[in-house]
Amino acid sequence: MNFDPIADCFSLLDEGRRATLSDLVRVSGLNDAELLELIEFGVFEPVEAGVAPLFAAHSLILARKAGRLRRDFGANMPGLALALTYWQRIEELEARLRELECQLPR
Amino acid sequence: MQYKDYYKILGVEKSASPEEIKKAYRLLARKYHPDVSKEANAEEKFKEVAEAYEVLKDPEKRAAYDQLGTYQPGQDFRPPPDWEQHFGPGHFHFSSHGGGDFSDFFSELFGMGHRGARAGGGFAMHGQDVEVQVPVSLEESLHGTEINLQLAVVEMGEGGAPQRVPKTIKVRIPKGVTDGHRLRVPGKGGKGMGGAPDGDLYLVVALKPHALFKPNGHDLYLEVPVSPWEAALGAAVEVPTLEGRARIKIPAGARSGQKLRLSGKGLPKHGHGAGDLYAVVQVVTPSQPTEKEKALFEELARVSDFNPRRHFGGV
Repeated sequence: MNFDPIADCFSLLDEGRRATLSDLVRVSGLNDAELLELIEFGVFEPVEAGVAPLFAAHSLILARKAGRLRRDFGANMPGLALALTYWQRIEELEARLRELECQLPR
Repeated sequence: MQYKDYYKILGVEKSASPEEIKKAYRLLARKYHPDVSKEANAEEKFKEVAEAYEVLKDPEKRAAYDQLGTYQPGQDFRPPPDWEQHFGPGHFHFSSHGGGDFSDFFSELFGMGHRGARAGGGFAMHGQDVEVQVPVSLEESLHGTEINLQLAVVEMGEGGAPQRVPKTIKVRIPKGVTDGHRLRVPGKGGKGMGGAPDGDLYLVVALKPHALFKPNGHDLYLEVPVSPWEAALGAAVEVPTLEGRARIKIPAGARSGQKLRLSGKGLPKHGHGAGDLYAVVQVVTPSQPTEKEKALFEELARVSDFNPRRHFGGV
């Protein structure tokens, strides 16, 4: 009987990994123009600029979220940019909250 | 297959106008969308809501659905015999709210809509991306682990009909994953069609609660109860770590909430080093002191001029 080999996964938080604009387009379901608009809004920042910009791998998480919010809420690009910016701030605040909660007695 | 009452799911009357249906969807999407909701089972509920909206917002799908007549939610259901003739595969158009991950009931009736593209004259469709939550213990994160995942991915069967296919995948979880950590397993989602690539599998790590350690990123926090005399005089105490025991020095005059760092005793970081373990001092008093202990505390109260509330001023 044949067994599939164990699948290796890579971390989307791996700072060394990069994603291309095509990767972001594919995982988000947004088109190039929509992605470029989000880049102009500063939601996605290339770590390597140029003709073929590269993004940190964790941008794929944000891109998936952007695609879902666009699709499920019909959000326009400025609204989407705003929602994603707030989401990132909430993530940071929740991380800070988790850190403080760790220090509370049980 | 169980019947789904889409009107009930959206909380609208069967006579609801398109505007009422849209309004109901928006309210429920706001409540249950997994990107904004903290409700339990939000994702499952949102999928149900999105599926109901996918049908009821489209006049043609809604009319076809209404033709089915009245069933009780959850009642066993089979499509009418002539359904396929009227509404065969490819009949309906989809926008795939909720990601197109629909129930068997929906798939049986309407087929499945996916992002597709015509390539080279044939039909090419990227495989479904699948996201699953993976519970991982701190010990598993410390060493890395292998897990078997049971998935149900949507694939096109023979004749182009969508079907849910059970799939078991063995995945190697690297060491050092933290809560909410996202992992991508390329090509392990649903099967692509017409030469298009297979979808990806996304794993979202959920660290299992631990009896002693609270994780924060790669750092771990451990509450260390100390007696009033250990806090006042200082002490060397033994504490557990994920890899055995360690001794820490409680400095004299320690206070509750004070953090003592054990460098590198947290979870390993990708490629280099590890987080830290923070021992958080908690001064505890005996809940049922003996007569002797009570007498000694009373003696201390008499002789000490320590005032922990001095900063209150003259209160």
